Amino acid sequence: MTQLIALSVFNGLIVGAFYALMALGLSLILNLSGVINFAHGGFLAIGAYIAYSLMPYVGFWGALILAPFLTAFIGLIVERFLIRRLYGRDPLYSLLLTFGLAYIIEDVTRMIWGAQSVPFQVPALLTTPLSSDFFFLTGYRMFMVVLVAIAVGALFLILKKTRLGMRIRAGTHDLETVSALGVNVRVLRNLNFGLGIYLAGLAGVLAAGQLGLQPTIGTSLIMPSFVAIIVGGLGSLTGTLLGGLLIGVASGIATIYVPSATEAIMYVIMGLVLLVRPRGLLGEEGRMH
Amino acid sequence: MSRAAIAGGMRRRTLIKTAAAAGILQVSAPFIRRASAADTVKIGLCNPLTGTYAAVGKNELAGCKLAVDQINAKGGILGKQAELLVEDSTSGDAGTAVQKTRKLIERDGITFLLGNVNSALSLAQAQVSNEKGIVHIVPGGHTDAITGATCHWNVFRVCNTTQMEANAVAGQLINNVGKKWYYITPDYAFGHTLQAGLEKACTKLGGTEVGADLTPLGTTDFSSYLIKAQAANPDIIIFLVQGDDMINALKQAVQFGLDKKVHLAGAQQELEALEGLPPEARIGTWVFEWYWNQPNVPHVAEFVDTVKKATGRVPTARTWFGFASTWSCALAAQAANSLEGVKMAKALEGLKLPPEVGLMPDQPYFRAEDHQLIGDLYVGNAQAQGTGDDDFFKVTQVVKGTDAAPPPAETGCKLTWPA
Repeated sequence: MTQLIALSVFNGLIVGAFYALMALGLSLILNLSGVINFAHGGFLAIGAYIAYSLMPYVGFWGALILAPFLTAFIGLIVERFLIRRLYGRDPLYSLLLTFGLAYIIEDVTRMIWGAQSVPFQVPALLTTPLSSDFFFLTGYRMFMVVLVAIAVGALFLILKKTRLGMRIRAGTHDLETVSALGVNVRVLRNLNFGLGIYLAGLAGVLAAGQLGLQPTIGTSLIMPSFVAIIVGGLGSLTGTLLGGLLIGVASGIATIYVPSATEAIMYVIMGLVLLVRPRGLLGEEGRMH
Repeated sequence: MSRAAIAGGMRRRTLIKTAAAAGILQVSAPFIRRASAADTVKIGLCNPLTGTYAAVGKNELAGCKLAVDQINAKGGILGKQAELLVEDSTSGDAGTAVQKTRKLIERDGITFLLGNVNSALSLAQAQVSNEKGIVHIVPGGHTDAITGATCHWNVFRVCNTTQMEANAVAGQLINNVGKKWYYITPDYAFGHTLQAGLEKACTKLGGTEVGADLTPLGTTDFSSYLIKAQAANPDIIIFLVQGDDMINALKQAVQFGLDKKVHLAGAQQELEALEGLPPEARIGTWVFEWYWNQPNVPHVAEFVDTVKKATGRVPTARTWFGFASTWSCALAAQAANSLEGVKMAKALEGLKLPPEVGLMPDQPYFRAEDHQLIGDLYVGNAQAQGTGDDDFFKVTQVVKGTDAAPPPAETGCKLTWPA
């Protein structure tokens, strides 16, 4: 039994790392622009499908590199022509826009690639378990965790060390002052949105390696990311990472005791956090206003 | 702010205009419809075209379209052309499904209703069709109740009940693989009845259950369930999840190398799911409800060719469900020589589907007591690649529906006819 729990916790961390990857992109966009991007799952699907289409030409590794960039490019266009118009209005507007966008993206992917799942194959090198006892530690999942770690590390470096990152962080705190100091806020928000969508595209390619690739792939993955953000706390990327890992482990442990509640447990945790500490584990006070 | 207000005002005006235009359309539409109503017999299909069940829904639609073309080429229904009206029921929103069913019946004046992939939506639609006295054929909703506890005089079902599938595969698994079973079951009506059916069949044959987990519909990560299942040390892990969940579960089980340690199996499997899996994950013992590669059954090859020409892929069980359901409408009218609901329903009871529609070794027929189609079930193994494109299943045994279906007395169905 203890062994089963240990395995589930370990496994939960892997699952949680993946939730965190999606949630970080969402969190970036939400923090700087105040946009709750409901279409994030749609961009995830776009990333996965682009990778699927590129694979015959550039292989899995080429697709893994190219697809997230192409997805981010689509994200930049969407921000420029649709989302930009709604900054400064009630967040409900952008919520409705991205909500609609999610449905449009789902249907467009269905028109292009069909409603049926397509077989997305990862290199055999990655799909073998590393040991018989820890069979859930496949090369692919280890690779995914490493990639998530690299992506998170790079993101923190970008935010701490680069001019763009510092502006994003400054803008998150006080956009008006940043703007008054001569930073082009439009470009800043555009690039920030692109960065968030890049992470969605990357998560999409990784997800397609383990899940069936169909137009609704993003829909089922998006809710845990929202929960991760709320649990971790708005405004804190470290919190988002923590939130993702926490719900991953919690749902892993729930499998042992109440298997049908693996999904419900996330919302229970979210509810508890909101009751006890409404700003989330590492969130800043007053962020919601 | 003032610009926004003006824009808002303009939008309001446009909105009013649009509403007025829509209103005029509403008034004039019935006249247009009535003009065509005289010369065609309408078949309404209210089935998922979006959401989780979009892929299987679209395949059923392809089968319906093919059948309508064939019916019309052979002179239509009682001399009138058949017309297929299609509505998207969504994959899980009962409110929308019921509303669109009402629209098809009340405004479009359909004679036959077809639907739904989702068992819960099938039951909701059946209530409406029963209230209106419309012959309703359920192509692909599997839960037992449709032709069991909540059966209706006007409702017929083409796909199997979950109990039939369980009975068909249980013997094969117990005799050839092992007796300790672990279930991974989707947490909704279909999964519950399917697991109950398998438990019943398994116990009868001396098997035991070593564990069972209910998984929420739409589960993406099955790793924690697989860890738990493996720890219980079963002979077989039984996957009862469907559609995308099935793809996710099998893909992960194979990546974990579980297929090399335990036997993976289940009851219902669909070609749509196998087509979405990479070759190494097409494994396990399953039941197919219809399969395209039946070299010795007459008319099947022609059917496969026609569907391939129209859609580019081989027909799946879903294509056949749509096809057989639509043909059943025409056959009912023909046998009753009438378009009256009660007369057609009576005529369908015991009706055998002709070989070019049945497309099975044994002619399927609608059982009079519960209106369930009794056809053959195909037990076998998934395979990486067979003889042709999309030949991902190897049939090892054809089980007769009469052997798989529980006797009518056990279904709990009591048909009440209108006075």
